[in-house]
Amino acid sequence: MNTLTTIDELGFAPALEQDVLEDTTSDHALLEATRSGDQDAFAELVSRYRNQITSYIYRMTNDYDGAVDLAQETFVRVYRAADRYQRTYAFSTYIYRIATNLAISELRKRKRRKLVSLTGFFQQTDGGEAQELNPPDGRPLQDLELVDTERRNAVQRAIGTLPEKYRAPLILRDVDGRSYDEIAKILETSEGTVKSRISRARGFLREKMRAYL
Amino acid sequence: MRKNNCELIRRELDELMLGEAHSSAATHHLRECASCREFHEQTTKLRHIVGSLGTVEAPADFDFRLRARLASQASSSVSSIYWPFARRGLALAAMVLLFATGAVVLRNILDKPASVNEVAQQPKVEQPPQKQVEELPVAKENGARTAVIANAGENDTQSIRKLSRPRPDYKKRSVAAMDFSSERANVIGEAGPVGVPAAFPIDASLQSFKVSLNDERGNEKTISVPTISFGSQRIVQGGNQFAPKRDW
Repeated sequence: MNTLTTIDELGFAPALEQDVLEDTTSDHALLEATRSGDQDAFAELVSRYRNQITSYIYRMTNDYDGAVDLAQETFVRVYRAADRYQRTYAFSTYIYRIATNLAISELRKRKRRKLVSLTGFFQQTDGGEAQELNPPDGRPLQDLELVDTERRNAVQRAIGTLPEKYRAPLILRDVDGRSYDEIAKILETSEGTVKSRISRARGFLREKMRAYL
Repeated sequence: MRKNNCELIRRELDELMLGEAHSSAATHHLRECASCREFHEQTTKLRHIVGSLGTVEAPADFDFRLRARLASQASSSVSSIYWPFARRGLALAAMVLLFATGAVVLRNILDKPASVNEVAQQPKVEQPPQKQVEELPVAKENGARTAVIANAGENDTQSIRKLSRPRPDYKKRSVAAMDFSSERANVIGEAGPVGVPAAFPIDASLQSFKVSLNDERGNEKTISVPTISFGSQRIVQGGNQFAPKRDW
């Protein structure tokens, strides 16, 4: 899969909110300043999106160190393609699209490597994707925080077993809270497809998380 | 009809954001349909759990590492600019080196002397007829091949040297040694006039020198000088350079 490097490849519809573009502290203005050599503007962009991008890639790959590396690669590509960036498109959509492509590339590389998991004996296949068996602990938990932590870990593992085409829209929708329109632009697909995939993803998770629901 | 209605209501509920109000038709359906109500409750709970994952923060040195990465990529891009020129230079140097090596090898091949087989295959060159050499008198007393040189003149000596040469084009001089110490010396001066000094040829290089003197009174004396050889080497026994000299 080719990773995205230029805004020309996006084919986005022009952003509707033109007044945002006039703001000197907007993402577009910062990228314009970056293009003219302002390193502080690029540092501001990084500080705005580093946590979001790192978190998003981490949810996608379930690997923190790899997510940090890919997040840095995302910003490197943004920096190198700053000259070709067109401010008529939403920057957040642009950078999320780069991050998505990098994360999906990483997931496909992992699949090619065919790593043998230590928990492979407890895995079963469903739709071509390996699913890790994670039976809930039946013992009574003494702390609600522990319950929440266990539940979050379980859902994180369950998300990690989803096929990539379901994983990305689910994270963008339910974790990051993005709109269907933006998700469709990030994933280069239609809103109907995004809605369908999110519904399927939730169905998968319901089955896996039945013990916690 | 009811199943289709459930699908529509579930799809509507699925597309809503958390906390967003659903339509009155959906509200009415949820009151009547326990299955859809359970579905809605599970989905809402699941979305709360997924939403509770929150944001993972980037490490503190994220900016520093990013700057280092950008700097390293910038330097690598600079090197990539000069790489085509360096590659051309390396290719040119390799070509020159290859050409020089080939020239040296070719020169060595051309200067190499012909092998034995090649010489054998070469056509023979007509050699001029060699001059016949007179056979030298051989002493039959000993039954050996020892030539009698005592009476031989200068021409005969040259003939012997010619015979010792294997080929005219053979540069290396052959080394031959002949021992004439056992030959009898010629008697000279018996028939000469008295008072006239005797003149006789001495070929010291061929045999030992013996002179017999007679004073015509019955006294006879013989002086013998052994053969003198030059150019021979003698290994000094024990490395003692001051050892007493032997007879020679």
